[in-house]
Amino acid sequence: MTASPTEAPATAAAYVYGVVAAEAIPPIERQGVADARVRAIAEGSVAALVSGLPPGELRIRRRDLLSHLHVLEDAFAEGTVVPCAFGMVLSSEEAVRSEFLEPRHDELAGLLRRLDGHAQLNLRVAYAEDVVLQEIVAGDPTIAQLREQTRGLSEEAGYSMRMRLGELVAAALAAVREGDGQMILERLAPKAADIVVDDPGEDVLKASFLVAGKDAEAFDREIERVAEEQAPRLRIDVVGPLPPSAFATLEQGAWDS
Amino acid sequence: MAVAQRGTGSNYLQRAPSPSGLADVLSVILDKGIVIDAFVRISVIGIELITIDARIVIASVDTYLRFAEAVNRLDLTESGGMGLEDLKGDGNGTKRKAQGAIEGAKEKLTPNRDKESEKSRS
Repeated sequence: MTASPTEAPATAAAYVYGVVAAEAIPPIERQGVADARVRAIAEGSVAALVSGLPPGELRIRRRDLLSHLHVLEDAFAEGTVVPCAFGMVLSSEEAVRSEFLEPRHDELAGLLRRLDGHAQLNLRVAYAEDVVLQEIVAGDPTIAQLREQTRGLSEEAGYSMRMRLGELVAAALAAVREGDGQMILERLAPKAADIVVDDPGEDVLKASFLVAGKDAEAFDREIERVAEEQAPRLRIDVVGPLPPSAFATLEQGAWDS
Repeated sequence: MAVAQRGTGSNYLQRAPSPSGLADVLSVILDKGIVIDAFVRISVIGIELITIDARIVIASVDTYLRFAEAVNRLDLTESGGMGLEDLKGDGNGTKRKAQGAIEGAKEKLTPNRDKESEKSRS
């Protein structure tokens, strides 16, 4: 292992990237957050990937965010990793042991077992808006009529009608969005071990899927099928396989703030 | 972000091994992953994270007007399958402003957010 106690003084704060099995510590060649060397601190059957952090205020740069991700990706390429959220810092390397690895040992070992052989795939589904808006106009006589009425009017003259039209369209869009989001979740759920659904904002669906290696192909094929069936109205973006950060949660792991 | 063109279904599916945009990177690493109380969280002030992470809030009035404009802009003489390419042909840039606002919503996750917001309101 690349552990090298001389890299940073023992008093330095420790930035934590994630947790791996102590018996399978991946070599991390790249520099971590604040350009520090990444190494492992083992405790029992688990080990934390950490790097030293200089004292004082740290100005986070874009490259630090990417470093965090890339360290996790490197570890993930070698085996199983339980990702930490960006920005997790303990006061010292000793604290990584005494405040994190020791008290959470069994829970972390359990997460490592659960995530073993799995990858995260992030899905974002958006409408080709024009196609869906056409469906909405075609399917709702009131909307179609309002559309005709407001088309030739100036912005001032047609303001209230236009507001009404927009309101109806927004409601119709929300309804189809929910239906399509649900449909996609139902199609993919049988191929996934777990799902975390995020707020899609203006998109149709934003979700992370935990997929076992043996199901990866079937999952991918199902996405392809959905994409083909739904073209051209839906656009699907798939990112992954990623380290399973969305599924790395401890019991008391919720954000306080 | 690449816009899917008309064509086979596969054009409507985009794959990437790793998140590329900063917003996507953040969605993987910022509020996901283990966290315990003992941790000190690095202050993320200093990078434009605050605005990047923020939801895109558009007042509902703006949203309604935007949808109204988007619907009015549709050319229904072509029944279905009208893609972005068809719109490009109409030569009227202002009519597509709403479209730009929608596409821009994602791009707003970049540090240019303020500028973009102004544009979509104008």
